Amino acid sequence: MDIAIDVKDLTKKFKKGKRFRKGEVVAVDSASFEVLDGELFGLLGPNGAGKTTLVRCLANLLIPNEGEIKIFGKNFSKDPLFIRRQIGITTGGERTLYWKLSGRDNLNFFAALYGLYGKEKEKRIDYLMEFLGLKEVKNERVERYSSGMRQKISLARALLHDPKILLLDEPTLGLDPQFSRFIRKFIKEELNRKQGKTILLTTHYMDEADELCTRIAFINSGRIVDVNTPSGFKREIPHKEVLEVRCLGSINPTGVEKVKGVEKISISSKDGISHLKVITPRGEDVLSDLIELLREEAKILSIDVKEPTLEDVFIYVTGRGLGEEYER
Amino acid sequence: MSQAGDLARNMNGELRIVWEEFKKNLKILLCYPVIWGFWAIFPILWVLPLIFQGKALVGGLSSQAFENLTGTDNYLAFVLIGAIVSTYAMSSLWGMGQSLREESYWGTLELILTAPIRPLPILIGKAMLESGFATVGALIQAAIFSFFLGVDLSFGKILPVLFIMILLLLGLYGAGLALAAITLLIKESRGLVNTLNWVFYLFSPIRYPVEVNPITKIVSLAIPLTYALFAIRSILLLNTSIRELWVSVLLLILFDIGLIWGSYYVFLRVERRVRKTGTIGMY
Repeated sequence: MDIAIDVKDLTKKFKKGKRFRKGEVVAVDSASFEVLDGELFGLLGPNGAGKTTLVRCLANLLIPNEGEIKIFGKNFSKDPLFIRRQIGITTGGERTLYWKLSGRDNLNFFAALYGLYGKEKEKRIDYLMEFLGLKEVKNERVERYSSGMRQKISLARALLHDPKILLLDEPTLGLDPQFSRFIRKFIKEELNRKQGKTILLTTHYMDEADELCTRIAFINSGRIVDVNTPSGFKREIPHKEVLEVRCLGSINPTGVEKVKGVEKISISSKDGISHLKVITPRGEDVLSDLIELLREEAKILSIDVKEPTLEDVFIYVTGRGLGEEYER
Repeated sequence: MSQAGDLARNMNGELRIVWEEFKKNLKILLCYPVIWGFWAIFPILWVLPLIFQGKALVGGLSSQAFENLTGTDNYLAFVLIGAIVSTYAMSSLWGMGQSLREESYWGTLELILTAPIRPLPILIGKAMLESGFATVGALIQAAIFSFFLGVDLSFGKILPVLFIMILLLLGLYGAGLALAAITLLIKESRGLVNTLNWVFYLFSPIRYPVEVNPITKIVSLAIPLTYALFAIRSILLLNTSIRELWVSVLLLILFDIGLIWGSYYVFLRVERRVRKTGTIGMY
């Protein structure tokens, strides 16, 4: 199988600070990976891990400091226009459309940028709007669309020129479950399986990556930590269990780490409730010590012992959860 | 496909992008009726005070002192030509300077820059819309101008004036490209365009003959608007033929080549720089 995207030792640094406090932030650090033609590849990592920076490098919106990107064997610096023709991109955020224009007018404009005109353009736009269920609202202004409809229009725009490669940056971010399900199904069934498009998808939703991707790259602090299939990742931590604890009040991570048998932990909180995940060889062995420790600071609401999920593998491999306040 | 065929196809594609950009901006503007109201009355409101001011200052439509400096005694016509041409010229700078700024505000700039096109047609499309509005305004002003001052605006004079205007606009579209580039870099265009506007007002013969001051006289030579205004006034007020104005025409052509080439080079450099710094989408 051909290599669609070939990334070698890619590094992207940004300058930060002014005058006397100048510094550098390494957003992507020596990243290397390959995406095969027709593959649905996931970049999985927490916010700020470097996913979007990587996608922006792949879309030629950013020029890396070091390393090389090849798209179907061609380098950006040699033939940027050819490569841009192979790529369709949806970027995160809603403000990537002309809100005062209708969905159809938006697509009309972007179609021109990709060299589509006349009947060919009309046919393509009609097909995409019908396929994505936007036919009824095609002449409505985008400002009147829901978030899900805007995401659909963004997808339609990325597909206008029928690109071989799709870069989807957080395609379901902020969508309600119904729209998310539709977008996921569309990506996997229609775009990847039926149309055979190579898709690179970034997400921080673990179940999304698990459900959609044939292979996943874990990215953390700009580094590609590991690349594997979802099932391959799960096999990386055999004979482990995950304790999930919900508490009212805060949890002291240092204390939890000292409990005998605890290998990795991750803590997050929402609406005053703390969520603790503990990876351990045997849940039963740490349970009593853990309960004793937590009772000192918080009120325990529930404790579950589970099989490791992809998210737990991520914690195990990177020492960090997705969206957690504390990871070790 | 031959190289000439490829070139024609590319040109055709870029012209279509210019047209789509023009249409897109027009549709967005149509969503704001207040702007239409402004453009409907702006040309009249703008030009009438100049006429009244001129009448109050020179006590009529002409001045002998003025003739000694410019060769024409028609002070009002002189000022009005300057005002109309400069408004027209500044609209192209506004259009191009603002274009990328607006796109980054809307969040669409990054997507345009991922498309397999040069950004030039986008900038031209935006500037053309501004120029379109300015043309309508200039036509209304010219009608008022002709009615109040009885200046001959026959076809034989309009054509050479249009020729000079096109030469002027080409150079200013070039300068607009540099402005768009600087906007990409500093994320602001209003201050820059306004400053240029006032520099033009001070150092080119828009409202007064630059000969009144030795400094303005010298600096004005570096501004293409000076040659365009000189040529247009000569055609309209002194009945000079375009052949006699060959020096101004040649200088305008040289300005066009320099500004377009230089600004395009600046744009490419800046575009590469913002792709490196990662500040394309910021505003």
